[in-house]
Amino acid sequence: MKKLIASVALGTLLVAGFLFSQDNQPADTAMDLEPSIFSIGNTGSFF
Amino acid sequence: MEIGPYIKLHRIKQEMTQAELAEGIVSFAYLSKIENQKTEASPDVISLLCTRLGIQLDNEKDITIKEKCQQWFGQLFEVNNKEEIKKNYKELEELMETTHSESLVMYEIHKIRYFLILGEKEEALKQINSLAEISSTFDSLHQFYWYKFKGNYNSTDGEFNQAMRMYKLAEDKLNQLDLAEEEIADLHYTIAVTHSKLRNTLESIDYADRALDIFRIQYNFIRCAQCHILLGISYRRIKMYDKSIKNHNLAKHLGNLSKNKQVIQLTNQNLGYLHSTKGDIKEAIHYYTEVVDDPEVDLNARLTAVTSLIKEYYNIYNIDQTKEMIEKGMELLEGDVSETYRLYRYVINTYDYAIKQEKEKFESLVIDEFIPYLRKHKDYANLVVYANMLGKHYEKVSKYKDSVKYYKLANLTYEELVNL
Repeated sequence: MKKLIASVALGTLLVAGFLFSQDNQPADTAMDLEPSIFSIGNTGSFF
Repeated sequence: MEIGPYIKLHRIKQEMTQAELAEGIVSFAYLSKIENQKTEASPDVISLLCTRLGIQLDNEKDITIKEKCQQWFGQLFEVNNKEEIKKNYKELEELMETTHSESLVMYEIHKIRYFLILGEKEEALKQINSLAEISSTFDSLHQFYWYKFKGNYNSTDGEFNQAMRMYKLAEDKLNQLDLAEEEIADLHYTIAVTHSKLRNTLESIDYADRALDIFRIQYNFIRCAQCHILLGISYRRIKMYDKSIKNHNLAKHLGNLSKNKQVIQLTNQNLGYLHSTKGDIKEAIHYYTEVVDDPEVDLNARLTAVTSLIKEYYNIYNIDQTKEMIEKGMELLEGDVSETYRLYRYVINTYDYAIKQEKEKFESLVIDEFIPYLRKHKDYANLVVYANMLGKHYEKVSKYKDSVKYYKLANLTYEELVNL
């Protein structure tokens, strides 16, 4: 029983910790785009 | 280039064995010594070997080849017409096949970059493999480009750690060489992009600043804009938003001056993401929409903007607009089954199932395909987002055990991401 309570508490802490960190420090969702390592022309690609 | 490695390179290109080339001229053991520069053969022997390989020893022609090579190498670094680059490549290819040129090795090394610019990754890899056999004979200048272009191949392949190792080896060669400033700036810029991909923010700022100092003196507007975009991304990551916006605006200004649509829309995409992370959804949508509505922008960029809009609209529960963007994304991807856009297909389908509340399809897609795909590609940022989305979904349907499992995955991945 103690183990169960401990695991539930740990789980809750993990979730709460994650949500807290998400609110305060938004995750980088990889939607920023670096320019290409090659030169980019008007007809070329970004990447 | 010494004649020995030159003969070896031509023999390998023509898929000849040492025995085949040496037959009737010298023993194949002696040929091996010539190729590996362990002996100096007589001019007669060299002449016979070159004749068998179909190569002329013509000094005057070599000067022309050298000039043509320099022109072509330059085209690989600047914004240029691909057709022009291809035409010059064909011409050089014909000349190199029949004439002994000092520039051959440098030309063969630059072919790696040429294939990458044309998007022919497999050809680039073949070229790397064939050059690996003679790489021990490269001088410092050859090595500089050899490492740099191998790094370019790794970058194109998404292997940024390996790419960084190669760029650092190229950088180590700089103090042994007297290279033009723009060559150094180009390497620094490439390192800055790679640091940014690896989320080494401060290093990316450092190298982008160094490259920018040189590109600015040379009035290279496009390269300056590319550096400003990198700085904009890096300052956003360390939450220096004003500095980030300033850099993006400078990039956009330079894009306007050069009338370069790709630079302008790349800036809009990044400004959209900046406002999204700041919580200013209206502004984010404004910038993303500019990219989506521009028909001149390439497919990859439009898909990035469309998927960004799907996420924004979904997060503010704007169902109609989310559906509209999903449809737009599907339209853009219609008939495409390539690996290049697989990530976008997963994103669009995930939101499509989520919005239609097709629970089984949603779970099966995210668990069986999308998450393993993100893990395989070490795409931690997206893994956090979609593991979290799955966690929320299970929480909503009261499957708390599964919910905790995916929140935990998101949490651990997030730690991985910030430790990168």
